[in-house]
Amino acid sequence: MADHPRPRRRGQGELEALVLSALRTADGPATAGWVQEHLGGDLAYTTVITILTRLLDKGAVTRERAGRSFVWTPAADQAGLAARKMRKVLDAESDREAVLASFVTGLEPDDERLLRALLGHTPADGDEED
Amino acid sequence: MGVFVFLPLVLPLTAWPVARLAEQHLHPRTATRLLTGVAAVMALCSTVCLALAMVVGTAQLPGNPLPDGWSDPEVRAAVPYDEVAGQAAIPALCAVVTACARELWRHGRVRRRAHRALAGLPGTSVAVLPDAVPYAYALPGGRRDRVVVTTALLACLEPAERRALFAHERAHLAARHHRFLLTVRLAALANPFLRPLRTAVSYTAERWADEAAAGAVGSRRTVATAIGKAALVSRGTPAATLAGLAAPGPVPRRVAALLGPAPAVRRRPPVFTSVGLAAWGAAVGTAVSVMSSANSAVTMFLVLKAATPL
Repeated sequence: MADHPRPRRRGQGELEALVLSALRTADGPATAGWVQEHLGGDLAYTTVITILTRLLDKGAVTRERAGRSFVWTPAADQAGLAARKMRKVLDAESDREAVLASFVTGLEPDDERLLRALLGHTPADGDEED
Repeated sequence: MGVFVFLPLVLPLTAWPVARLAEQHLHPRTATRLLTGVAAVMALCSTVCLALAMVVGTAQLPGNPLPDGWSDPEVRAAVPYDEVAGQAAIPALCAVVTACARELWRHGRVRRRAHRALAGLPGTSVAVLPDAVPYAYALPGGRRDRVVVTTALLACLEPAERRALFAHERAHLAARHHRFLLTVRLAALANPFLRPLRTAVSYTAERWADEAAAGAVGSRRTVATAIGKAALVSRGTPAATLAGLAAPGPVPRRVAALLGPAPAVRRRPPVFTSVGLAAWGAAVGTAVSVMSSANSAVTMFLVLKAATPL
């Protein structure tokens, strides 16, 4: 540090944004070490951990235990991650209707024709209700 | 007890007519409850009978842990064709128990995994997943019941149709349809003659949710178009097939039913119609099934008690 010009002291928000953007460039969950490395070693490991923990409190990131440390995921990516996990669950079940009552089931070719006829040939605004 | 001990194994046949007629002639809620109840009772009775025959069969095996007196001729006389029936009941009951245990385990596993997949998301009742594959389903249990839907499915629906979709899935959750579905699946594993009831209930439960959704959004046609659009956009989805159904498949039948008049809510079907007679036939079959299995169980208990040296 002695021969370096002392880095400008950055605000908390700025550091959090830096860490978060670094995490977003990761391909999947990343460790704090990866984040630190990706930020160019500019920040101490403990600082990265502190910032990540602060982001966790804010709900901006999530973490999962992997071995002895944690891996971190930006929260904005959670929906995509959940979608991928869900697809894995569903694809593993050969007969998922057995467990999950899904909205529609598959269509046979005849069904498709029948369905188009049903939807096409009824009065569009003749909605009488009981 | 004579051949009565075997009656509950074949009495599920008396429920076939109502399984066939209920979906068109009864309100889906009535049909679901009736068929599930019949299936549950008949499956239980048929399993009791298998267990009774198995006791007799096991007692004849060399080295069995049962009391010696249980292989006496008096006990064996309680079950007709005791040699064949007793021996056949052992693998049959093992198969039933294994299949049911596997089904329960699988049910729990899929639900657990699905909840775990959603664990990172905020705990809202609807989970919208960014996915190019269109699907939607109701996920019961966990910290709270959830409706899972993908952006691909929502994108193809109008706002009113989305409301219909959510109302449909919420109806599944509110009425605990997964319990009906699990019950009939287990029943069909316990006695293969109950399979038509399983097929019928998985259809009537969907119809029940459709009708509830139609009530919630105030338009039967909106629900029909939502189902139609969702089915057309998700065709070719490899995992979403329910093969082996006679044409026309369940989706066009549901749409056609929604485009027709609303089903009448009746306490019980009128007696002198085909569906009324079928329902009564199934009720009588269930009652006979209960009586003969109860009779067999009591008789067997007394016979075994008399044969057990104290």
